[in-house]
Amino acid sequence: MSLLWLRVAVLLYGIAALAVLPAALYNRPRWRHIAVPAALAGVFFHFVSIVETLYAAHRALPVDTHETLSWLGLLLAAAFLALATRYRTVSFGIFLLPVTVLLTIVPAFRPGHETIAYPFIRTGWLVLHIALLLAAYAALFLSLIASLLYLVQERRLKQKRPASGRSWLPPLETRLPALETTDQIALKSLLFGLPCMTAGLLIGSVVALQTIGPAFFADPKVLLSLAMWCAYMLMIFIRRHSGLRGRRAVYLSSAVFLGALAVWAANLFSNVHRFRAP
Amino acid sequence: MNSDMPETHLQSGILLLGVNHTTAPLEVRERLAIHPSRLADATRTLAHQPGIREALILSTCNRVELLTVHEAPHTGSAPQLGMLRFLHEYLNLPPDEIRPHVYEFREREAIRHLFRVASSLDSMVVGEPQILGQVKQSWSVAREVGAIRSQLAPVLLESSNSIEAFSSVGAYSSVGAFSSVLDPLLQRAFSVAKRVRTETRIGANSVSIASVAAELARKIFGSLSGKTVLLVGAGKMSDLTARHLIQQGANTLLVSNRTEARAEKIADALRTPAITTGVIPFDQLHEQSHRADIILTSTGAAATGEQPHVFTTHHARTLLQRRRNRPVFFIDIAVPRDVSPEINKLEGCFVYDMDDLQQVAAQHQAVRSREAEAAESIVNREVARYNQRLSQAPAVEAIKQLQSSAEAVRLHELARTAHRLAAQPLSPEQQAAVEALTRSLTAKLLHSQLTALREAASDAPAADPDE
Repeated sequence: MSLLWLRVAVLLYGIAALAVLPAALYNRPRWRHIAVPAALAGVFFHFVSIVETLYAAHRALPVDTHETLSWLGLLLAAAFLALATRYRTVSFGIFLLPVTVLLTIVPAFRPGHETIAYPFIRTGWLVLHIALLLAAYAALFLSLIASLLYLVQERRLKQKRPASGRSWLPPLETRLPALETTDQIALKSLLFGLPCMTAGLLIGSVVALQTIGPAFFADPKVLLSLAMWCAYMLMIFIRRHSGLRGRRAVYLSSAVFLGALAVWAANLFSNVHRFRAP
Repeated sequence: MNSDMPETHLQSGILLLGVNHTTAPLEVRERLAIHPSRLADATRTLAHQPGIREALILSTCNRVELLTVHEAPHTGSAPQLGMLRFLHEYLNLPPDEIRPHVYEFREREAIRHLFRVASSLDSMVVGEPQILGQVKQSWSVAREVGAIRSQLAPVLLESSNSIEAFSSVGAYSSVGAFSSVLDPLLQRAFSVAKRVRTETRIGANSVSIASVAAELARKIFGSLSGKTVLLVGAGKMSDLTARHLIQQGANTLLVSNRTEARAEKIADALRTPAITTGVIPFDQLHEQSHRADIILTSTGAAATGEQPHVFTTHHARTLLQRRRNRPVFFIDIAVPRDVSPEINKLEGCFVYDMDDLQQVAAQHQAVRSREAEAAESIVNREVARYNQRLSQAPAVEAIKQLQSSAEAVRLHELARTAHRLAAQPLSPEQQAAVEALTRSLTAKLLHSQLTALREAASDAPAADPDE
């Protein structure tokens, strides 16, 4: 049944991803009334699917990449809903919802078969470690999208006459969030992600130290994670103190996001995250 | 004004007389305009004219319209003359002077015109939102003075197609008490206007220079609450734009002018309890301009030959540094320009001059024109629906009459039978059985006639929505 709920969720996310385009790009409020409820229903079925999977398997952790991606998709869809409620904007859905569909479509139609012999000790801490780090990834992605939207809005405000037909920018009448709003969202999501990442890494380190011992520091994923945390801190410092916005903010966010992807990919080389001795 | 309505069924007629910005020059409109404080009295006076059942006066800066319902539908000029006489007597204007500018709509066309006016399709600036409020205000005044009866309106508004709905409205009923025509009509006009506003983007974008500037500021800053506006120079347009920005939430206003006394005067004029104002001496303009989020310039005096603009790229860079790259919006409505166009290339600086603002306003106007076509279709469909309901009303009334006559006969026969059986009265159970029998008989006997009438009501001619 859990797979069925996940497929329903994917379908609903797909509807929301399509409906958000006319709502955000052509100011069609009717489509907003489809996009938001569809995403909300998608989140509900997605959550039910995850709970059912974990309950049926008598575990509390995602055991393969597909499941982890599915969790991340849920967080991104929830972030879309949070923004739609708080800032009355669905523009972020242009990016967030298709990514959510991509993240959930694979586990919905090709469930993973990886099995990780993870220790059943300290499961609660591991759940927290994973959830916090996924929230940090989601926040980082959101910040990147906000920076991109800032860039689009800035460019079309500077271009002034985008209706020439040669421009790739949406027309000036299109209701994107105001520059200050996107800037605030970018910064707030980074500020939300920082404690998540810090706490997630700390919990992971303590659990690894107790389970594997000091050798876990030599693990490539652990090293990359620490590097990413430093980059994350640096990015927040620069953004807060120099008021970095626009193009350069996009470059910086993209660089840190690529770092985050590298950390994710480092799972392939990580013994700690496969619960093998390094 | 031809009408497709089945007027033979009508016992009252709608007539609308008016002038607007397209038919009358300002000199005529200002003489016809009725001040809001006199609107109640004028509406009452109009409603008391002979033959007028209900009346409403809409008086705005661009139009004066008299909407009336007469005792019987007229195709002649009697009601028109009555309304012109009202204008003559109330406003002391000779009818001959007004007549060339007056337009007249009857019945269906009057309904269409009202829907178009309420939806802002007949406004000078198509899509402007004020007109709906003004129509509502006139409606409210007319109800207060009894020129419009408020009753049973919600029944029609519920869009019910049921026979009962129409019979209770009875707007054009040939029998029964007088019920309101204008009240449901106006409420329908409000819902049509709401539909137009929700389903089209007719009012989505501003079209005046001042409001375009304020809208652009909102695209940069979101809410303008807590924002600071710096007014450099003085002028009517900059004053208007500053007022728009204040209206949108900006709460600090700084003024800088070559003549400090003039700056003080402007600041005083714009100061309110909610607005903080201040004056920046012109020679300190560049040192202090970083305090402002929006800089509105209108000095109109080119600077020295070496510095052809009041704000150059160098000034803007310094300003951005002091603001730690927080965005700044230059609205340059001066000719020649005060702000170097090169500043727009700096990240965080947005420069809009008069041409840019006019260009945006023109784009918005084009969008509104496109949306107006969609809005006209909505209005046409709504007029057709409304007319169809009105044309069904006589059949509904006939059904009511038939039912009540049959009920009267049934009750009369029951009473006669009860009188005959007075010696041996029926038991309660027998009485109930006889009651049910007579009801059933009446219903069966009426069935075919009622069905025919109901079919006639639902097949009543509907107007072509596209005409």
